[in-house]
Amino acid sequence: MKTFRAAGTVGELPTVTFGNRSLMWWGTLGFMVIEGWTSALILAAYLYLRQNYDSWPPLTIPYPSLLIPTINLGFFLLSIVPAIFAARAAKQLDEARVKRWLIVQCVACVIPLVLRWWELWALNARWDTNAYGSAAWTIVGFHTSLLVLDVIDTLGLTLFYFLKQMPVKAFSDVADNSFYWYFTVGAWVVIYAIVYVGPRIL
Amino acid sequence: MTRPPTDRTLPADVTISEDDIARDARALGVVWSEPPGFWGWLTTVDHKKLGKRLIVTSFLMFLAGGIEAALMRAQLSRPENSLIGPDRYNQLFTTHGTTMMFLFAVPVMTAMGLYFVPLMVGARTLAFPRLNAFGYWNYVVGVVFLYVSLFVNMGPDTGWFAYVPLSGPQYSPGHRVDVWAQVVTFTEISALAGAVNVIVTAFKMRAPGMTVNRIPIFVWSQIVVAFMIVFAMPAVATASTLMLATDRAVTMHWFNPAEGGDALLWQHIFWFFGHPEVYIIFLPAMGMITPIIETFCRRKVFGYTPIVMANITTAFFAFGLWVHHMFATPIPELGQSLFTAASILIAIPTGIQIFCWLATMWMSRPQLTVPILFVLGFLFTFVNGGITGVMLASVAFDKQAHDTFFVVAHLHYVLLGGGVMPLFGAIYFWFPKMTGRLLGETLGKWHFWLFTIGVNVTFFPMHILGLEGMPRRMYTYLEPTGWGPLNLVASIGAATIAVSVLLFLINVIATMRRAPNAGPNPWKSSGLEWSVASPPPSYDFLYAPVVESRHPLWDTTIDLPVLTGFRTDRREVLVTTTFSAEPDSRHEHPTPSIWPFYLALCMGVVFIGSIFSPWFVLGGLGLSIIGLAGWGWSGTKPTHHERVATPVAVPERA
Repeated sequence: MKTFRAAGTVGELPTVTFGNRSLMWWGTLGFMVIEGWTSALILAAYLYLRQNYDSWPPLTIPYPSLLIPTINLGFFLLSIVPAIFAARAAKQLDEARVKRWLIVQCVACVIPLVLRWWELWALNARWDTNAYGSAAWTIVGFHTSLLVLDVIDTLGLTLFYFLKQMPVKAFSDVADNSFYWYFTVGAWVVIYAIVYVGPRIL
Repeated sequence: MTRPPTDRTLPADVTISEDDIARDARALGVVWSEPPGFWGWLTTVDHKKLGKRLIVTSFLMFLAGGIEAALMRAQLSRPENSLIGPDRYNQLFTTHGTTMMFLFAVPVMTAMGLYFVPLMVGARTLAFPRLNAFGYWNYVVGVVFLYVSLFVNMGPDTGWFAYVPLSGPQYSPGHRVDVWAQVVTFTEISALAGAVNVIVTAFKMRAPGMTVNRIPIFVWSQIVVAFMIVFAMPAVATASTLMLATDRAVTMHWFNPAEGGDALLWQHIFWFFGHPEVYIIFLPAMGMITPIIETFCRRKVFGYTPIVMANITTAFFAFGLWVHHMFATPIPELGQSLFTAASILIAIPTGIQIFCWLATMWMSRPQLTVPILFVLGFLFTFVNGGITGVMLASVAFDKQAHDTFFVVAHLHYVLLGGGVMPLFGAIYFWFPKMTGRLLGETLGKWHFWLFTIGVNVTFFPMHILGLEGMPRRMYTYLEPTGWGPLNLVASIGAATIAVSVLLFLINVIATMRRAPNAGPNPWKSSGLEWSVASPPPSYDFLYAPVVESRHPLWDTTIDLPVLTGFRTDRREVLVTTTFSAEPDSRHEHPTPSIWPFYLALCMGVVFIGSIFSPWFVLGGLGLSIIGLAGWGWSGTKPTHHERVATPVAVPERA
């Protein structure tokens, strides 16, 4: 068996990192790609079904309502602000500010989730009305599952910060949580454009 | 403040003493140990234990799928046989295909990666050990669900691809298709968890010095396949879970033409996954071949860069071929031509790899051990399958051969020749690393010859049967067709395969009863995995190896250079930069946990329950929240002595 020759030390390397230096950031990115790609495939299927109809939505169905979805889009975009500030505070290891911004972030992400209920009905078709309704509900429903997951993550992280002394590395988790939220909002902008505005153009 | 305990921090170029090595090994042995007994079995996050378990479980699935195949061959061995009725036969061929594709081939190839990628890149474990455990348990839930369903006469019966409208609510009432749709869901979750793990491990945890152009070819193949899984599996998840299952459970209309749905949409999305799936099985097998050839020809592989580029090119092309499964549907002529061209084109990168291996072997004197015999068997068998693949890429020929036994012959030549043969070779090659024991050579050679002969005797006649018009998926045929004799030959071949696999099992059992005899590097191979004990210790590498070439054990003749200075009071791994693999940070890794197992059970409640009532979905998700909270809580133990690197200037905490 060969012996070892010490060629250097890792003792001075950091143990808490942010962004693409952190393993969890890469894992989060991986799942964002998977979920983003799944959304893209459902959107492709939605557009594929378009060719089966003369008009889109089918004649008896009105266009999706825009009022609630557009208001909610505004809330989605606004919710990025606390996410940015929470991430910034985390990178500065400022626990007090992290806690404050996490609370704001909780409120900011729960509002779009609550409005999602009316957003679904704003499609003006049920999932079992026809293929158009099925496709629209599936896209919005799939995004809702991402939304729920991120809301649980944000609420859980906030709760942990108030219930126990969190390790330094949890600051990195706060930053990654914001990172995932940007994706959730970004994906919604595309879905909103195609599913709510798109039928008026397609 | 006291400093945390660390292993040696020595000045450069000092040989580490045996005493220091023993002391550090003891400390790491404690930190990386796992609870004993059944609890330890449920909570393990050791990539080697989980990888080995996944290999064993998927081999059990190989046996189950093999038994189903044997039953089908028994039924078809003579005309108008009445051993198995049509309904049971439908369940058998569907379960056989589903098992072999989803529960054997993909998991076993992934498992080899989950076991060996950390060892080959010089990491102590995978990037996300608990995610790995979660993936394994999800897979087990899927396995149990499929086979319990089969035994209660609820086995899926519409083929492994579950074409609509046959699999839709109108033509397949009951729960058989639902079982298929949800089994697929579990395997998707498992494969995706494994893929993310492999990508991050290979990108961020490579040993210092293992730059991108020094990554072992096996690891390259696993990286490429992990990316393929990331882009292919969501397609089948969309098709099965979000479309077919919802059409069946809550009256959606994705595939219902009466309400604007589209049956062809299923085929497009399924085969957008289904064709890359073949390469998800095949590319890891290609990755296994290179180190085997290198080791037994005692040569560094010819054409490292072309082989890696061929792997990547194959992956890209693999996503542009799916329509060749649909030539018998109304596809525009331009589309047919495009997909014909792409299907023929993909033979080129595969050919490049084969020529590189031939060049490596050329004028060498290969040591004809069992692993390389399987590689030679692969070359012969797979090339035959590849050629019939090029034939089937032609629309005119495909329309004649579509849904006949010719296609059955082609796909088995490709999958058994291109997937299972290299896999067997790899098992013989790496078995000593996993167990510390060398498999018997004599029984191994019997296994090889009987398997290779069996595969050819079984599947070659099917080409002729297909050209004579014998359709797939029919439970019997009439005597005047004249198909009896060739079917009997095929069935004899299947029995030969069964005997060969039995010999393999005897070999494994007999070897495991013997004392360890392998040592760290029995084949005198060149990869980092051979630098550690067999089987490897719980922490894989005592220190971080420093890599100076593509073949570290061949090119480093004296002491192995390593980096020291890790803490020995917690599980610490080294994170390196993505391309140049320079040391960048240390990362604390998680300890064993029950939550991955618990969450997999919750997924079981969600997906299996969804077949029967939507309330199970809500209940399962509610239970999942407890699991997520437990997982998160147990991972946030306060620690001290952290050194922080942030983009914003902040004083270090030490």
